[in-house]
Amino acid sequence: MNTSDSEEDSYNERSALVQCESPTIPSYHQDHDMSLPQETDTKRGRPVSSGLDEPGLVERERAATPDGEEEELTLKYGAKHVIMLFIPVTLCMVVVVATIKSVSFYTEKTSQQLIYTPFKEDPNSVGQRLLYSLLNTIVMISVIVVMTIILVVLYKYRCYKFIHGWLILSSLMLLFWFSFMYLGEVFKTYNVAMDYPTLAMIIWNFGVVGMICIHWKGPLRLQQAYLIVISALMALIFIKYLPEWSAWVILAAISIYDLIAVLCPKGPLRMLVETAQERNEPIFPALIYSSVVVLSADERQRNEGGALAQEGVESEDDVALGGRRRCSAEEDLEEDRGVKLGLGDFIFYSVLVGKAAANGGDWNTTLACFVAILIGLCLTLLLLAIFKKALPALPISITFGLVFYFSTDNLVRPFMDSLAAHQYYI
Amino acid sequence: MDLSSVFFIGNIMNLERIPNEEKLSLCRRYYLGGFAFLPFLWLVNVLWFFREAFLKPTYTEQLQIKSYVKKSALGLIVWVAVLTTWITIFQHFRAQWGEVGDYLSFTIPLGTA
Repeated sequence: MNTSDSEEDSYNERSALVQCESPTIPSYHQDHDMSLPQETDTKRGRPVSSGLDEPGLVERERAATPDGEEEELTLKYGAKHVIMLFIPVTLCMVVVVATIKSVSFYTEKTSQQLIYTPFKEDPNSVGQRLLYSLLNTIVMISVIVVMTIILVVLYKYRCYKFIHGWLILSSLMLLFWFSFMYLGEVFKTYNVAMDYPTLAMIIWNFGVVGMICIHWKGPLRLQQAYLIVISALMALIFIKYLPEWSAWVILAAISIYDLIAVLCPKGPLRMLVETAQERNEPIFPALIYSSVVVLSADERQRNEGGALAQEGVESEDDVALGGRRRCSAEEDLEEDRGVKLGLGDFIFYSVLVGKAAANGGDWNTTLACFVAILIGLCLTLLLLAIFKKALPALPISITFGLVFYFSTDNLVRPFMDSLAAHQYYI
Repeated sequence: MDLSSVFFIGNIMNLERIPNEEKLSLCRRYYLGGFAFLPFLWLVNVLWFFREAFLKPTYTEQLQIKSYVKKSALGLIVWVAVLTTWITIFQHFRAQWGEVGDYLSFTIPLGTA
């Protein structure tokens, strides 16, 4: 079964923290959807990108309070944001690692590959393997770049319906097809008999409620849970279908691309953000992970009687949903503050940790990668607090993760093994 | 109710911040949607609107929301009963049904009869 198209689509959507609903072009990974901060708070006079769902975009929304108060609130809620981001990222990674460790399907290498990685790695020759993985990476990154550019163009020319429709198609595929595959493999692993009618009910319910929660209205927690599940499913697909060395090179390349796309003036994601800010419009939420924190009563009073709702993490599937800023009447200052993290980020973090878990390494490697990613996330949020604009969330975490993975695998593990072999405890 | 929720397109974050009429409409839509073989939707409806319907001070639309929550709960219980019965029957008699059992099976456990 060649699921590359569908995977591509979801890949596109997922990774970018793009605000607008980028149409997920089948050929493009959905995951690599850079999301733009969607909502800008014009009233504040500050561009706020919300819902940037780029693999690395972490966007912080500013409160409308005067600067001094804002700084204070910023610092106060900085830690909260970090915690709010830790939990979903950790959950996603836990789901992926648990599946990898228990369901062998996702670690069995098949000869099938995504069409985005056309070159088959030959395990016998190092040089050829390296070359092919580089070529695969080039193919994939160029696909991603093309997708992002198309997304920007579509957004610029206001083809919202197209984007929205595409997003719906891709999440449909994810919610139904991938979860069907996943359930099938889990049942096979646990040797459980399952009949078609019950299975149909389960998949139907899961998928439809997921669509409703994500694209329409639903309880916040459920929506967050669905986004985590979707990211985990996508990460599992990547882990299965990307060849070994290509996966690592692709991870590295995507973080570099993320850095470029978000920070360079001509970068597509940055252009998306700026366009969204110019237009000051909220883009329909593609897939946004948001956790809302409502301030306590006394804090509420401090804010001119307005309720300040903090948005936690918003991860948007590639398409960032605009920041959730809403200001209703003048006297009613409602402001959603939060940090938005793209779903693509979730996916790539999970891919890294999942591959660390899959490569037969013991838990040392997996835990090391996990800690590395969280540290990277903290640093990124710190930078966000300092710079106060859209930042790529992938580079720092992925760099740390890769460094930790390779060093743990090659240095720490043999060390621990020989320590254990010689019964020498430190 | 604050107007901010009105501007929000899409997901509802917090049930507190939307007006009562919208709550009612949402509850009703979830209830009606559940008829499309979606007991999960009814479950979500019950859990989400439970506080609104039973633990909040009365407001105009609360009575209707209560009725929708109750009806959703009822539908949910019916579906759970049906599914449990079917699953029990299937798991118990699958091996005995021979070919029909295999035809209905998505996964067949290995190593058992």
